[in-house]
Amino acid sequence: MTNLEKYKNSFCEVFQIEDSKLIGLSYQAIPTWDSVGHMSLVAALEQEFDIMMETDDIIDLSSFEKGMEILSNNYEIVF
Amino acid sequence: MILNSKNAIITGCVQGIGKATLEEFANNGANIWACALEYNAEFETYCKKLAEKNNIWIKPIYFNLLNQDEIKAGLKQISNDKLPIDILVNIAGITKDAITHMVTMDQMKFIFEINFFSQIYLTQFVTKLMIRQGYGSVVNTSSISAIDGNYGQLSYSSSKAALIGATKTLSKELASKGIRVNAIAPGVISTEMNRIVPDSIIQENIKKMKIKRLGKVDEVAKTILFLASDLSNYITGQIIRIDGGIK
Repeated sequence: MTNLEKYKNSFCEVFQIEDSKLIGLSYQAIPTWDSVGHMSLVAALEQEFDIMMETDDIIDLSSFEKGMEILSNNYEIVF
Repeated sequence: MILNSKNAIITGCVQGIGKATLEEFANNGANIWACALEYNAEFETYCKKLAEKNNIWIKPIYFNLLNQDEIKAGLKQISNDKLPIDILVNIAGITKDAITHMVTMDQMKFIFEINFFSQIYLTQFVTKLMIRQGYGSVVNTSSISAIDGNYGQLSYSSSKAALIGATKTLSKELASKGIRVNAIAPGVISTEMNRIVPDSIIQENIKKMKIKRLGKVDEVAKTILFLASDLSNYITGQIIRIDGGIK
């Protein structure tokens, strides 16, 4: 599985949404991406990529695209 | 066995309430990540024997609560096991008593770093995993001095009071995800920490208690066991005093 697929799967699994809804998806845009859902997403990403995210990054993770940027810039995840 | 096959993280396991809790949990079937400040051969042997006796595993994990990188490395060791974490018990803590005008801000920060900030850091990490699982129980160790105040304990009582606020807030935020968060507030317990307290003060405290003796560490550990276990499934956001009815 590619890193992009792993990344997308984490979103789909945590928020129970389809792949097609991910582009442009942002924090609190859907009911499942609330503050608690946000922590589930972070836990899923940490587990998937074997990382521990810094609090600043957790706060900055405001959209599907921003998350990719954070993971590639700060955790050397190549998409 | 009350905690059969549950996995628990306990901090401050080398002595006092932490050690008693480690033993109580082991005797009740829990697997344990036993956290302590630094490598200790005696502690390693103790954990090994306790695990063998109870047919469970106990993994000593070492980190200094003043060092976030060390905490993170310890947590990484735990998460690498890729096992569910059912219980987190925050016990590690310190006190440095002095009357209000003799407390420096550096001392205050030092106490808060260990008794409050590091516990929150740990709790943030562990509850993140618990949210994903959809269940978990967190038990924090506060103190009756956080509720009643205590002469000469400005930094200690304040840091433990902060933990009460955190406990109540976390319980509200996490209940919908199946996570319970409670705290214990021990009174005067016979621990290493209290050995430095002059006997005259201990006797004065005993006079104020309905049960006229110091508390025992295993009595505190049993309350933690109750709060951590499914026996207390409908209890969250509570601060349970274990103080012999002190007035």
